[in-house]
Amino acid sequence: MDQDMQDFAAEVRRFLDAHVARAPDRTARPWGEGDDSMAYFSSLPPEKEQEFVRRAREWQRIRHENGFGWITGPVEYGGRGLTAVHDLLYDAIEAEYDVADTGVLSVIGLGMIGPTILAHAQPQVRERWLPAMYRGDAIACQLFSEPGAGSDLASVATRAVREGDDWVLNGQKVWTSVAQHSQIGLALTRTNPDAPKHRGITAFLVPMDAPGVEVRPLRQMTGGADFNEVFLTDVRIPDDHRLGEVDGGWTVALTTLMNERATVGSEGAGPVAAALSPDHLSALMRATWTWDDRALRARLAELLVDAMATEHLNARALRKLRAGTAPGPEMSVSKLMYGQNLTCAAHFVSDVLGPRIIADTGKWGTYAWTELLLATPALRILGGTEEIMKNILAERVLGLPKEVRS
Amino acid sequence: MTADDSELRELRASVREFMAAKSPEEAVRKLMDSEPRFDPAVWAQAADQLRLPGLAIPEEYGGDGFGPVELGVVLEEMGRALLCAPFFATVVLAAQALLASGDSAACARHLPGIAAGRTTAALAVAEDSGSWDPALVSTRAVPDGDGDGGWKLRGRKSFVIDGTTADLILVVARTVAGPALFAVDREATGLAAEPMETLDATRAMARLTFDAVPATLVGADGAGGRIMAKVLDIASVGLAAEQAGGARRCLEASAEHARVRHQFGRPIGSFQAVKHKCADMLVQVELAEAASREAARLAAEGAAEFPVAAAVAHACCSRAYMFAAMENIQVHGGIGFTWEHPAHLYFRRAKSSQLLFGGPAVYHERLLDRLGI
Ligand SMILES: Cc1cc2nc3c(=O)[nH]c(=O)nc-3n(C[C@H](O)[C@H](O)[C@H](O)COP(=O)(O)OP(=O)(O)OC[C@H]3O[C@@H](n4cnc5c(N)ncnc54)[C@H](O)[C@@H]3O)c2cc1C
Repeated sequence: MDQDMQDFAAEVRRFLDAHVARAPDRTARPWGEGDDSMAYFSSLPPEKEQEFVRRAREWQRIRHENGFGWITGPVEYGGRGLTAVHDLLYDAIEAEYDVADTGVLSVIGLGMIGPTILAHAQPQVRERWLPAMYRGDAIACQLFSEPGAGSDLASVATRAVREGDDWVLNGQKVWTSVAQHSQIGLALTRTNPDAPKHRGITAFLVPMDAPGVEVRPLRQMTGGADFNEVFLTDVRIPDDHRLGEVDGGWTVALTTLMNERATVGSEGAGPVAAALSPDHLSALMRATWTWDDRALRARLAELLVDAMATEHLNARALRKLRAGTAPGPEMSVSKLMYGQNLTCAAHFVSDVLGPRIIADTGKWGTYAWTELLLATPALRILGGTEEIMKNILAERVLGLPKEVRS
Repeated sequence: MTADDSELRELRASVREFMAAKSPEEAVRKLMDSEPRFDPAVWAQAADQLRLPGLAIPEEYGGDGFGPVELGVVLEEMGRALLCAPFFATVVLAAQALLASGDSAACARHLPGIAAGRTTAALAVAEDSGSWDPALVSTRAVPDGDGDGGWKLRGRKSFVIDGTTADLILVVARTVAGPALFAVDREATGLAAEPMETLDATRAMARLTFDAVPATLVGADGAGGRIMAKVLDIASVGLAAEQAGGARRCLEASAEHARVRHQFGRPIGSFQAVKHKCADMLVQVELAEAASREAARLAAEGAAEFPVAAAVAHACCSRAYMFAAMENIQVHGGIGFTWEHPAHLYFRRAKSSQLLFGGPAVYHERLLDRLGI
């Protein structure tokens, strides 16, 4: 590491040491001790959920006050003007500390919507929202998917019609994560039904408290409700909240989607890290007397090979970034593998546990794995399904002919 | 010594160019039916022009002192081209065994010749079961009784890569102290070598019979287990690089074919079943390259994580290559199943490499062992 990075790392550690305790290493925690949660999605009761969001905002505010709220952001909007490598270094160091989980703010809002606003919004909107987002005041959501537009995102049907200096939005969005906590949402709308579908879309920043915005929670198969339906009925948005050109929203969407692929799959820490930890999994095999089961050992080895090879892939992408070269297909491959690795781990563990995962005996480290098991199907869908990711790899990386599309 | 990124790219480009000129498909096909199964003139050029055999041999022994990362680049390119040459046996197996033995006299005697491309060498470990576990070796070594420190070997080795042509043969044999490593000259009396018929026609293998063959101890008596553990880690990574290179070539061949071959009035690559097959191959190839290159990097750094990374690379690249080689034939349809098409040469190499050091069951346990599980 060069001097600049070393200085930065030291500054990060000074900041974290002053504000939070070091985290126990979750992957190396002793079997049977502490929290055995394996949740990827939250399934907290509403009061606890509010408290969780409050703590996330609070930690983001502290980060921001100390210059770590938006490491890569421009200084004029409260950013630090540093590189993606500084950002990654910060994340790596912060993972050693016991900080509040800020995923509710960062995964979608700061990771995807923030960079899109920066790239495409008008100056007064950037000034209005960017500092607020990175200070933890404004949570943002992605109002892209609709009942009729998922993988085929360019089919969005929500209409936006110009009225004077305003636009009026009508339609329905679906699967919108964190909308229940959000102050703003980035919506894709149809502004020109006559143009080819990619060319008739316009993007708007929607204040979620605007009259006519209604958020209804959707219960997920995990039991919790992290995503929502959002109904837009005669919602008036000033023209200055438009991102990019009229009918030019597809370009805006691509910025968000590119950042989405970089975000999903890069979540190293968190409770689910233990699911791919050799120590944790071998402790589970000891605890269940399956230690020398040859078939299970072979599966464990396969699982660890994939998990470790994926780590090597991430390490390589990081090294490329540090060397100033743009990473290749590593991020997309990594996103695919992340979902598959956790899926394999969850099924491996459930086969190790056998009947102990089908009903709760109250024993540590058994039924808790259902939280991970039930989250895994989503990981193959969210942020672009496996099928769509494979199309992208085949067409963009291998240069295979495009699918026949209407 | 470590090359930087642009030097590595240059190395890759020059080796690729050399392979294109010296190991095109026709050359591979001609050599795989001939004895010896390599072209001595090409081997000499690889040594004189590109200094390949000495690349990763320390300077004190006449090499250029580079390490596993540079060696990995060369092996990836050789794997792509299915080069028929005694490189893997000589440089990866035998030279690494000499280095791992810590026997500086043996290194000084043999490595300069290897580095210069004058000496080819083989490492004989496996017997009829094919296992590389030195504990299972039954070939015996006894002191020859002349009081000059010489030994005599008795037994039989199989699967010895380039065993009929190697000038120097390193043999793992059992003494009263346990498995140990010995050096045997090709001309030694009592040594018989016969070629084995091989699944992978591009990699020659031999059966060697030792009938009181004079041999020299390399490293300490009884140190064979320790030496082989080291050699297998580094050889797994070398093999992994070859596998990653071969898998990448299979992927490229499939993607090329899927772009140009038309059925039902459109390129087959526009059918999603084919497209996704190619994407799955890409995923495997990316993982394989990452696993083998990271393992080589960790070896070069002498990192404590290296043995784990080596096991991961071996398992990951074995699977990736086999998968890519199978799907490559599928994407090519009937053409892929013909003798004339190179796809089967990669299939054979992939399967043979996957099983060379014992196969999935063995390397799964090796990984768990390295992790302390
Ligand atoms: C937990 C979770 C959180 C989410 N959060 C958000 C959010 O915050 N904001 C947001 O906008 N969206 C969000 N989504 C929506 C997500 O992006 C979509 O669910 C996803 O893009 C798939 O769209 P769909 O559900 O309409 O399925 P469909 O597009 O109808 O797909 C159904 C099936 O058909 C397959 N398929 C479709 N088209 C093709 C094709 N061309 N080739 C091959 N197979 C195809 C798909 O792969 C899938 O298996 C979230 C989803 C989940 C599960």
